[in-house]
Amino acid sequence: MKQLVVVGAGLAGLYASCLAARRGSDVTLLTSGRGGLGLSSGRIEVWSRGPPDRAPSEAPRGHPYRRVSASDLRAAVDEFRDMMTEQGLPYEQRPGANLLLPTALGALRAAALTPGSQSLSRIPPEAQLGVAGVEGFRDFSAPLAAAGKLGRRPVRVIPDLPPPSPPGHRDLYSTDLATQFDSREDLEEVAQRWSVALRGVEALLMPAVLGWRHHAKVHHTLEQHLGIPIVEIPTLPPSVPGLRLERALHLAAFAAGVDYVEGSRAVGRVAGRSRGRRADAVAAFTPGGMRVYPAQAVILATGGALHGGWRLNSEGEGRESVFGLPLAHQADGGEWTAPQMASPQPYSYFGLRVDRDLRPLAADGTPAFENVFAAGGILAGADRTRDGSRQGIDLATAYRAVRAALE
Amino acid sequence: MKLSTEILVIGAGATGLGIAWDACLRGYKVIVLEQGDLAEGTSGRYHGLLHSGARYAVSDPASAADCAAENAILRQVVSPCIEDTGGVFLVLPGDPPEYPDRWQRACQSASVPVEEIPPSRILQREPALPHGMERAFHVKDAALDSFQLLHSLARSIEEAGGQVRLRHAGLRFLRHRSRVTGVEVQDRRTGRTLRIESELIVNAAGPWAGRVASRAGLRLPLALSRGTMIAFAGRPVQTVVNRCTFPGDGDIVVPIGTVAVLGTTDEPVSAPDHTQIETDEVQALVRLGRVLLPDIDQHRLLRAWVGIRPLYRPPGGRSSQTRSLPRAHYILDHDALHGVPGLISVLGGKLTTYRRMAEQTVDVAASQLGARRPCQTSSTSLRGARHHPYHRLPDRLARLDRGPAKGPHEIVCECELVTRHDIHDALERAPTTDLDDLRRGLRLGMGPCQAAFCAYRAADIVRKSMPQAPADGGLIPFLEERWRGIRALAWGPMLRQVELNQRITFELLGAAAPKTGPS
Repeated sequence: MKQLVVVGAGLAGLYASCLAARRGSDVTLLTSGRGGLGLSSGRIEVWSRGPPDRAPSEAPRGHPYRRVSASDLRAAVDEFRDMMTEQGLPYEQRPGANLLLPTALGALRAAALTPGSQSLSRIPPEAQLGVAGVEGFRDFSAPLAAAGKLGRRPVRVIPDLPPPSPPGHRDLYSTDLATQFDSREDLEEVAQRWSVALRGVEALLMPAVLGWRHHAKVHHTLEQHLGIPIVEIPTLPPSVPGLRLERALHLAAFAAGVDYVEGSRAVGRVAGRSRGRRADAVAAFTPGGMRVYPAQAVILATGGALHGGWRLNSEGEGRESVFGLPLAHQADGGEWTAPQMASPQPYSYFGLRVDRDLRPLAADGTPAFENVFAAGGILAGADRTRDGSRQGIDLATAYRAVRAALE
Repeated sequence: MKLSTEILVIGAGATGLGIAWDACLRGYKVIVLEQGDLAEGTSGRYHGLLHSGARYAVSDPASAADCAAENAILRQVVSPCIEDTGGVFLVLPGDPPEYPDRWQRACQSASVPVEEIPPSRILQREPALPHGMERAFHVKDAALDSFQLLHSLARSIEEAGGQVRLRHAGLRFLRHRSRVTGVEVQDRRTGRTLRIESELIVNAAGPWAGRVASRAGLRLPLALSRGTMIAFAGRPVQTVVNRCTFPGDGDIVVPIGTVAVLGTTDEPVSAPDHTQIETDEVQALVRLGRVLLPDIDQHRLLRAWVGIRPLYRPPGGRSSQTRSLPRAHYILDHDALHGVPGLISVLGGKLTTYRRMAEQTVDVAASQLGARRPCQTSSTSLRGARHHPYHRLPDRLARLDRGPAKGPHEIVCECELVTRHDIHDALERAPTTDLDDLRRGLRLGMGPCQAAFCAYRAADIVRKSMPQAPADGGLIPFLEERWRGIRALAWGPMLRQVELNQRITFELLGAAAPKTGPS
C-alpha cells in the first residue's frame, strides 16, 4: 500500500484523493482552508473552444491538456461521473459536444457536463420560459438573467418569488435559502404560493438554491407540484451547486478512507527525512503544531493565484507556496494583467511547468523531485476562464497524476 | 432653455463649489456647471490630506502660511468632513542632517505649529513606522474627506438658492464684442441645449481650465502634473506620516476613513484626462513607501488612482519640472490681462486652501459686480456638512444596528454598508443609470472587494427601477472602471482578489468575454 499525501481540497485534490484511495493507497489530504468549490458553478467545463473530447489535440503548446491523452481525459470524466452518481449527484453529458447552460447575466456558457438541475435539455424548444429571483435574495437578478435572452429564446421576467421561510433578522445568502428548502417538509405549500405568479410559464429558471443535502428531493418535489421543469442558474458565491459537488466529493473521499486533515498548511519537505530529489515526508502547520506526514509520493493540488498555490510579490517575482518551486511566467519586468478586465489576463498562464508525468520542473528543466506531482489550477499554461477548461484540467491532471504517483 | 445669473462658475470641484458657496453667502445669484459628476475630477482624486503647511515650509513658504491659516478655519466650518488624525514628520537615518532645523525655522516663520517629540513616543502609537528614526515632529495635519466636502458644498449652495448643474458638456461662450456674456452647453442626460447669460463667468475647471479658456480664444499659463496614489485596505497608521525632507514622491501616508493613502508622484502631462494608471509608477511608489512603512508588503493594497494637478506656470517656469512649481493659486482677470471682460480664471492651489482661493476670487468678482456683503465662509459652517455624514462607516454601522436589517434595508455593498434603501434613495434624488455615479455618491464598491459582489446586486436594483437602464444594468462598464484601479496592484493578496473577481464575473455570472485575444 502506497503512502500518498495530497495537498489541497479543491476539485483536483479531492478527486485525486478519491481515485488513489479507491486504487488501494493510504491517502492523507492536507488542506489549509476549504478549497475553492464554493466558487464553482458545479458544472464541468472541459473545453469550450471546441468539442470537449478534442481538448488534448486542440490545446496550444504548454497547455496542461498537452500532458494528458484523449483517453486519460475520457476515463477521468467517466470515473468522475460514476463517482457522483454513486453519491446521488448525477451529471448530464452530451457525447462529443458541449451543453449550453444559462447564466445569471443571461448568457449561455458551455460545459461538457452539468448537474441535471442546470440543464435546459428537458425543456421543449417552444416552451414559454419564465425567470424569477427570490424576495430579499440579492445574489440573483431575474431581469439581468433575462438580459441576454438566453440565445434568443423569449424569457418572461417574473416578480421575485417568496422564500420558503418568512424573513429573518439578517440578509439572505444562497446557503440560507438552500437550508430553508432542505428543512421544509411541506414543499407543496411553497409551490402553491408560487403557482399564481407562474401562470402560463412552461419552464422556470431560478437561482440555484433548491436545497443542499436534499437537493435532489427538493428539486423533484417542487417540479412535481408545479408541474413544470425547473432549471437552476448559479448565483453569486457561495454557489450552492459548487457546495453540493464539494459535499459529494467529501463523502466519496471519506467512504474511500481518505485521511482528511483540515487547517493544516503544508510548508515543504522535511530536512533529514528526505534524500536527494525526493520528498519522503511533508511538513505542515496544523492546529496542533508542526506535524510531519510521511509520503512515498506527493500530489500538489494547491490551486492557482486565487487559492494560494503560488504568490507574486510587488516586483512580479513568484514562487510556488509549499516547496518554493520556480514559477513559469512571463512577468519579467512586464505587466501581468491586461488593461481591460474582459481581455485575456497574462497571469492566468502562470504556474508550474511539468514533465510528462506531471512532475514540476526545477529551474534547470529537470523534475524538481522524483515523487512530487502537480494537478489542477497550479499548472501553468492555460486561461481556464476563457478556454472553459478549468474542471476538465482538474479532473484529467488529477487522474494522470494519480497514475504516475502510483506507478 | 434660457437662464440668467450673476456669477456662472465652470467646474464643480472644491474651487468652483467654494467660489459658488462664498458668492451665495454674499448675496449673488450663482449657477455652477460641471461636465461630469461631483468628485469625478481632481478634488475627488486627492490623497485626503488637510495640510498643516509644514510640507511646504521650505519650498513654498507662502503656501505653507496659507495652509496653516486655512487648516484652523476649516476645522471650524467643515468639521464633519475632517478627522483630526494629527501628523508627524520623520527624520530617518541618511536624511540630510541639516534639513530638519532649517525646516523647523521655516515653519516658525510661516506660523506653522511644530512640536518635536521623542521618536519612541511615536513608535508606541504607530508601531508600523520604521524603527531607528532619528527625530520626529508633531504637526496639525488631518484627514479631509473631499467627497463629503463636495457633497456638503453642493447641498449648501442649493439650500442657499444657487444651482449646481452636473453633466453639462460641449461648452461654448456667448460673446458681445470682446465681452464674454454667457455660455451654451448641452445637458448630457437630455441632450438639450442650455443657454445661460451671466454678468461674470469664473473658469474654475482645474486641469480642464486651459481647454475652457481656449474656447474664448485665450491661453492660460497652466502646467499639468499627474499624481499617482495608492490606498491600503485598512489603516496601517492612524496619524498622517510625512518625511522630513524636501517634498518628493511616495513620502506621505494619510489615514482617511477606512483606508490609508500613500502618495504621491509628480509627472508632467499634457492632457487633463491622462488618468490611466501605470504599473511601473505604482511599483516605484511602493518601493518608496517601504521607507516609511517597512512592512508595506504585509499590507493589502486596495486601489491605485491618478489625479491631475492644475499648476500655475510662472513666466519662465518649465512645465517639464512640475514638482518644483509653486502650489499657490493665481486668479487671472482676463479683462486686465487680455482685454476680455466678463471672464476670470483660477489656477493652481490646493484642496486645503480652496476656501481662501474662493474668497479672493469672489473679492475680484465683487469689485466688478459691485460689493454686497463681506465674505462669510470663514465663520459659516456648511449646512450640508452637518446633515449629511453618509460617508462614515461607523455611522452606517450604528444606523444598521438600530433597525433590523430586513425589507429594503438589505445590505448591497458589505464593504461600505450601502443598503438597498440607500440606493433607492440616491436614484430618487438624482436619477442615473450609471453605477459609477452611485459609487461616488454612496461609496458603493469602494471597499476591499472592489465591487465583486455589490456591482451585480446594484445593477439589479438599477435595472428594476430605471426602465431606460442598459440590459446589464451598467454592470460591465462599472467593473471595468474598478479594474483600472486594481490591476496595477495585482500581487500578493490583491492578485487573489483580482482572480476572484474574474471568476465571479466570467465563470459564475457568465459575462461575455471577448472570444479570442492575444495570449
